[in-house]
Amino acid sequence: MNSHLFVWLARRRRSLVAALLLALAPGAPAATVEGRVTLPKTRTAPVVNQRYEIVAKAGVLSTNPPVAVVYLEGGFPRPATPPAAEIRQKDLTFIPSLLPVQAGTRVEFPNLDDTYHNIFSFSPPKRFDLGRYRADERPVPAVLFDQPGLVTLRCDIHEHMRALVLVLATPHFVVTDATGAFRLTGLPEGRHVLKAWIDSRTTREHVVELRGGEVQRVDFP
Amino acid sequence: MKLLRRGLLVLCATTMLRGADAFFDRLEQALTFSAVDTQVRARLSGTLELEGYDFQRPPPGVIDAPGRRLFNPRLSVFVDAQFGPTLYGFAQVRADRGFDPRAAPGELRLDEYALRFTPWRRGVLNVQLGRFATVVGNWTNRHGGWVNPFVTAPLPYEHLTGIWDTEAVRSPGVLFQWARVQPGQPAEVTAIEKTLRVPIVWGPAYVPGVAVSGDIGRFRYAFEAKLGSLSSRPEAWGHAREQRHHPSWGARLGYRPSPTWDIGFSASTGSYLREFADPELMPGFGRGDYRQTVLAHDLAFAWRHWQLWAEVYAARFEIPGVGDADTGAYYLEAKYKFTPQFFGALRWNRQVFGRINDRRGQPVRWGHDVWRIDLAPGYRFTPHTQLKFQYSLQRGDSDGREHTRLLAVQFTQRF
Repeated sequence: MNSHLFVWLARRRRSLVAALLLALAPGAPAATVEGRVTLPKTRTAPVVNQRYEIVAKAGVLSTNPPVAVVYLEGGFPRPATPPAAEIRQKDLTFIPSLLPVQAGTRVEFPNLDDTYHNIFSFSPPKRFDLGRYRADERPVPAVLFDQPGLVTLRCDIHEHMRALVLVLATPHFVVTDATGAFRLTGLPEGRHVLKAWIDSRTTREHVVELRGGEVQRVDFP
Repeated sequence: MKLLRRGLLVLCATTMLRGADAFFDRLEQALTFSAVDTQVRARLSGTLELEGYDFQRPPPGVIDAPGRRLFNPRLSVFVDAQFGPTLYGFAQVRADRGFDPRAAPGELRLDEYALRFTPWRRGVLNVQLGRFATVVGNWTNRHGGWVNPFVTAPLPYEHLTGIWDTEAVRSPGVLFQWARVQPGQPAEVTAIEKTLRVPIVWGPAYVPGVAVSGDIGRFRYAFEAKLGSLSSRPEAWGHAREQRHHPSWGARLGYRPSPTWDIGFSASTGSYLREFADPELMPGFGRGDYRQTVLAHDLAFAWRHWQLWAEVYAARFEIPGVGDADTGAYYLEAKYKFTPQFFGALRWNRQVFGRINDRRGQPVRWGHDVWRIDLAPGYRFTPHTQLKFQYSLQRGDSDGREHTRLLAVQFTQRF
């Protein structure tokens, strides 16, 4: 065992023990939290710059309504095999426009449009540039998000395109629906901090005491 | 210690830029407006460009300055507006020292404005009216400072030929003098003449007119009727009335077999003289007989971190009583992203000139053949901030013998 792994295991001893106990007790009842996050107003739809692309296809885009990510804070162990997720590029938008993932997740970026996209990020947790690739190219370009933090995705060709990847240290997260309602299941017992990420500047939190088999209601005003 | 200070300076600058980036993200959101259930939407955006040039006399291309260095700040503000699914409008306002880099007082101009009607969602037909970039070629799609990997335009868009637009050529000798084929002209005379000569295409050619375009499968077509030829200078673009009896016609037919490739063929024809030339026309001829006819072929390739572009131009300036002044130009341009933020570009440009018979009937080349190589590294600090450098080495132009060099730097902040 190399020294880095030893240090990593030592630092995460408490989390690992908790995870091990959880794994060894498959019958242990898990807790559930449900509630509602008050969301900001709907954002305005983007305007597509078509100045020099003189042939345009109407330029009307659909946008996702505002949503929030509710997650249980904590240093949970990473899964043995990297989980997979996907952000598609369709009709000149990213779908979904907000993707929460656990650190160590591999995200694929299939291009479903008949034009090029060029996804890039200059965000400190993950800097990358996938370049331009066609819809039929295999393997689909992917990025491993290994550091927790907020990663802003953009397209170098279509400047209005934006998406966020919220890389979390926890596997316990859920995206609210458009009304802000959420239900987070399979949670470990104990005292935890429940957070609601609303936007890059706003995260609300609530301390919860979870007991197996119980359903708690938490609202984020 | 010096290294430490520089490191700290870079760190502070980077931190400030990142902070500024969040500000520009918020600004972008604040500058987007919508109404009527988002059926009417508008957005203000723009770029602030700070350019610096260091060159040998006379200044190359369309740069016009008395010294060897020039600082050229430019603020461009764009308005994009969508009125339902069928109407789109845009405008560009610039505050700078002239459309082309020059040592002149600051001015504010409305460079572009247009309204586009798209009756069907599939985009098979668009009708655009206003003052806007030409449909000819593929450089206009990337002529903005943010997307153009270079500071200057390719040779066909800025290399000034011996043709003037304010006076008609009356004899081959005059043309040879204007094109400086006859030796002995001092460099300063050349610099003064720069305000009279024209290239094959003057930059993006924001000439008023109407365009019809559309997508049919993998084919893309565009036709334009403009009040000014491709070679017309920026000062003429705002005076469309003078060319109302001599419209220029242009077209491009494009084929895009896949997003990787884009192939286009273009043509344009129109009078290259302005109304000032009327008194000097050859007897029996009108301004419409002094035509500029251009044929062009363009090619674009993109895949992963590579982008390649090429264009070939063949241009003819018809000069009644003298002959046809032919010139051809091409360039090959490649851009590669080495990292998510660092990129580099290389461009090879060439322009050659045909022959015209002199008084004795001997064919003489009416311009000096030119080649130029451009090298441009660039770095994007944030999605809103970019710094580019350009080094150009050119042979030809002023007297056909010496190599001339240009150093340029451009800082761009977009919002």
